[in-house]
Amino acid sequence: MADPKQYEQLMSRILRIGVMVSSLLMASGLLVASLQTTSVTTPDRNPTLGELIRRLASGHFATAGGSLAATLMFVGLLSLMLTPFLRVLTTLAIFRAEKDWRFVGIATLVFLLLAGQVVYSLY
Amino acid sequence: MSLPSFLLLVAGGFIAGTFGTLLGIGGGLFLIPFLVLVVGTPMHQAVATSIVAVIATSSTGASINLQRGTVNIRFGMLLEIATVLGAIAGGLTANLLSGALLTKMFSAIMLIAALFMVQRVRVKHDDRLLATGGPFPGNYTDEATGELVRYTVTRIPGTMFVSLLAGNLSGLLGIGGGVFKVPAMHLLSGVPIKAAAATSNFMIGVTAAASAFIYFSHGHLNPAIASSATLGVLGGSIAGTQISKRIHSIALVWVFVALLFVVSIQMYLK
Repeated sequence: MADPKQYEQLMSRILRIGVMVSSLLMASGLLVASLQTTSVTTPDRNPTLGELIRRLASGHFATAGGSLAATLMFVGLLSLMLTPFLRVLTTLAIFRAEKDWRFVGIATLVFLLLAGQVVYSLY
Repeated sequence: MSLPSFLLLVAGGFIAGTFGTLLGIGGGLFLIPFLVLVVGTPMHQAVATSIVAVIATSSTGASINLQRGTVNIRFGMLLEIATVLGAIAGGLTANLLSGALLTKMFSAIMLIAALFMVQRVRVKHDDRLLATGGPFPGNYTDEATGELVRYTVTRIPGTMFVSLLAGNLSGLLGIGGGVFKVPAMHLLSGVPIKAAAATSNFMIGVTAAASAFIYFSHGHLNPAIASSATLGVLGGSIAGTQISKRIHSIALVWVFVALLFVVSIQMYLK
């Protein structure tokens, strides 16, 4: 794949899919919440990113965010927040395929900055 | 969350998304005042919600602009170094500041954004004066005229500095920062206004993602508020794109600018 137009289409598709998946998850969470009688979560009980990921990793999907509805919404929000990461990774792969090493370096730096703040946010 | 609260958030997000898209400044400048003044959301939560909504609208807009070929991907990637650094610093700083101080800062930025909007209406963009001979050559076909527009980018350090500040405001106050980046790209670097707006939009999602995790890590992301408002803003931005094809009234811009002034004062007095 060498045509820049194809690369642009690929990035466009990734962004669109990211938004669609996250919107579906958030909408599902809101739907589940509307079917439940209990409150989703109160502002002072929002789990932090680290807590949420640790609970998800230990297999407690239904209660990771406090309830199934909140978990679905959190995973939707997380997918949305990770969509730009995918976009940067795709750009990096494109520059690498084009052997544009200067921009491979720039894209890598942007990705490392993003990844660094996620790691910082986890601890 | 009750059904009326959900509907209020979706409706507020929808209106913020529509207004933001019609003005070309994203939904954050309208969403945050709505959340703070109408819903009563704490400022840090409002900023966190706005940042997530900004990612959604930016990703959708960037997806369309990439298909149109108006994004200067390389120039955008270079500027992202500055915006991401600024956003991380902004996100970390915001969590050290009080909600009251952030609200006052936001009201000041709303006023500045309104002045930028006035300037944008008054200044006629002339893409015939495009720079040549610089790095990052770009081209796109103008859908309105069918002409192929070619340009190159100049005075990059100045635009990078403005991008750093715009990224910082994004992390600090939850706005996209396009209102500052687009004029910088156009006036400083000679990027045609359509390419500048598309490239700015392309960068905003990454910039917002840089600080979103910081707000999440501090527990400022309320899932119900963020999900409802984001879905509303997303719907509003799609509606705004459709409406903007039919409405080209400068009077409408003046109405929105007046609205920004009024809401800015209300935010200051909050």
